[in-house]
Amino acid sequence: MSDNIIIEAQGLVKRYGDPSAGSGRGVEAVRGLSFAIRRGEIFGFLGPNGAGKTTTISMLSCLLEPTEGTAIVAGYDVVKAPGEVKRRIGLVPQELALYPTLSARDNLNFYGRIYGLRGRTLRRRVDEVLGMVGLAERAGSAVEDFSGGMKRRLNIAAGLLHRPEVLFLDEPTVGVDPQSRNGIFEHVERLNADGMTILYTTHYMEEAERLCHRVAIIDQGRIIALDTPRKLIADLGGGIIHLGVANGMAEGLLEQIRALPEVRAVTQFDGKVKVEATRAQEALVGLLALFNRTDTDITSLEVLEPNLETVFLQLTGKRLRD
Amino acid sequence: MLHLHQILSITWKDLKILFKDVGGMVTLFLMPMMFIIVMSIIQQGMFDPGDSGQPRRLPVVNLDSGNLAAEVIAQLDNVDGIEVETDWEGEPMTREQAEALVTDGKRAVVVVFPADFSERVEERLDDAGARATIELITDPAVSTQFIAPIQGMVLGIAERVAETALAPARIEAGLAELLAYLPADAQILLDKMVIETEKTNVVHVERVVPPGMGVEVFPDSYQQNVPGYTVFGVFFIVATMAESILREKREGTFRRLLAAPLPKPILLAGKLLPYYLVNLLQVAVMFSVARLLFGMALVQPVALLVVSLALAAAATGMGVLVATFGKTQTQISGLSVLLTLTMSAVGGCMVPTFVMPDFMQALARFTPHGWALQGFQDVLVRGYGLAGVWPDAAALLGFAAVFFLIGVWRFRFD
Ligand SMILES: Nc1ncnc2c1ncn2[C@@H]1O[C@H](COP(=O)(O)OP(=O)(O)O)[C@@H](O)[C@H]1O
Ligand SMILES: [Mg+2]
Repeated sequence: MSDNIIIEAQGLVKRYGDPSAGSGRGVEAVRGLSFAIRRGEIFGFLGPNGAGKTTTISMLSCLLEPTEGTAIVAGYDVVKAPGEVKRRIGLVPQELALYPTLSARDNLNFYGRIYGLRGRTLRRRVDEVLGMVGLAERAGSAVEDFSGGMKRRLNIAAGLLHRPEVLFLDEPTVGVDPQSRNGIFEHVERLNADGMTILYTTHYMEEAERLCHRVAIIDQGRIIALDTPRKLIADLGGGIIHLGVANGMAEGLLEQIRALPEVRAVTQFDGKVKVEATRAQEALVGLLALFNRTDTDITSLEVLEPNLETVFLQLTGKRLRD
Repeated sequence: MLHLHQILSITWKDLKILFKDVGGMVTLFLMPMMFIIVMSIIQQGMFDPGDSGQPRRLPVVNLDSGNLAAEVIAQLDNVDGIEVETDWEGEPMTREQAEALVTDGKRAVVVVFPADFSERVEERLDDAGARATIELITDPAVSTQFIAPIQGMVLGIAERVAETALAPARIEAGLAELLAYLPADAQILLDKMVIETEKTNVVHVERVVPPGMGVEVFPDSYQQNVPGYTVFGVFFIVATMAESILREKREGTFRRLLAAPLPKPILLAGKLLPYYLVNLLQVAVMFSVARLLFGMALVQPVALLVVSLALAAAATGMGVLVATFGKTQTQISGLSVLLTLTMSAVGGCMVPTFVMPDFMQALARFTPHGWALQGFQDVLVRGYGLAGVWPDAAALLGFAAVFFLIGVWRFRFD
């Protein structure tokens, strides 16, 4: 493993339920993941709910033992040396893992003590992370009185107290308004600028696209693509064209569209026609020529920019969110 | 060192959460305290028969062939607040009838004058060791505080009657001796006479229990309700604990903790210790309230502490076990309340076991509540020390071990 690699997973498999107990064969949540994350990277796991993101993070943070495969985190094997791994990682669970009736400071004091911090060091670290997430003024308030965004920020702060080398952020923006979300992105970027490696899971493609240096797209426990967002979109983004038609489109015409170059699929619903293209611009040229030729009236036309959503659509035929 | 620090941190955190939780504090402290106060007061009459201020009916069996007993009975009848019953259904009462009255719980105490009562008193003239006995047949459940005044009154009257009866003969005998030896040792003889009248003790009152009635002491209202509702309250920790564990699983705090260098046994110990301490605090608060409000005597503090330590182990062990059943808050609290209320009732915390049918009394042995209550009452009622309560403590620790082992075996952190 090169010095530059901080997390390396090889053939990770996780089956839930005890296969030997005989009650069914269990759920195979992760089916052979291999990837390497570089030191200093913001690495994204993008996938719909149930894709296996949390299960993978749980294996990397020694909460679950892999059924098969190995993972090295910060230089140590997650199965053989969990204690060493745990000291070097911070986990921010997708739940708000906080005690609502305690104050923000009491929550942080508690988690800090669990990592062995005490006295002046503890106080200094707590003040530091409170400042980092902009909650210094509200440190004494009970967490239950916080807004959703504040709770999320405190949730992140609690993972930073022991200055981990790697931070696992599991869907850190769920239930947060757009403004707070931007705030969280800035915190993440600042942490990364200070040298922290971040593994960020999300089912929002905009987040992966905006934050992550590289993204692994996960579906049904498998990585189906892994690259920088820009390269993924350029290679696989394709595009979607929505056409408005006055009285619906004849089946014959739909067939002609399907036959055009760069068109992947055509569907008609509610007086609209959706054309999925591997490359939207090229497909559009063909479409307009066809409509000219057949004298078809179009009431509206919309081209969806290629992005990670369309990449996912391209790869799986599904949307990230239904 | 780090691990101890971690256990104490979790303990401190859980205590903070608990003491901020008004509902939890009410359940664990205020509710049992309220039960102790209210139940102790309203049940006072049920546990202390004859404290009602009405004339006390005192059945008397007179088997005396002489007439001294009749004199004692006549004087007893003259005492205010005492109504002597010598007949039963029109006939003079027999000893068997009297015993049946006690056994059936119709009377707490019966006075029996034996056939040789007058005879034995008169023997005293010739034999300085002679004594007449009066028997008090009592329900063993009746406390000494209740019997003592009756015993004292009967003894006092009987002594007076006996002395009065013996006086003429004594004076006569004394004068005879005086005349015989006068003047040589007159002074010594006078001294002897005085001494003898002072330490007569002609009559002896003996407390007996009707045949077939076990010698068992029963608690009074405080001795029932204070330990009863303390044990009841202590087991409410089961719900508090199980809900707290479920919340940590559901809200992801266990996940975060286990991603830290915190071994699972340490985390579990941290989830036990605070509730164990709260249990001990509950016992201390309840007993202090009983001490302050009712003056309940806290004898044998070491024995009480040992029972409390074992009780808290059983209650927190049960908390771990119940936490492994039920997936939701509602299921957990429903199950805890069902279990703790049933076990409290069966264990005798609400209604004393001595009024229960035999099979229910046997069933109480299968609850930690029953053993804990017995342990406390062994000390408070029967005055046992450490040596007397160890079976109760051992039984409680047995429950603790079983609950805890099954609980840990079933325990999941996610
Ligand atoms: N403890 C569990 N027991 C059984 N199945 C589970 C458990 N946790 C997750 N799963 C299943 O594993 C799959 C992956 O879940 P998860 O890793 O939580 O996905 P994600 O975080 O991407 O939403 C899902 O089908 C989920 O239902
Ligand atoms: Mg998840």
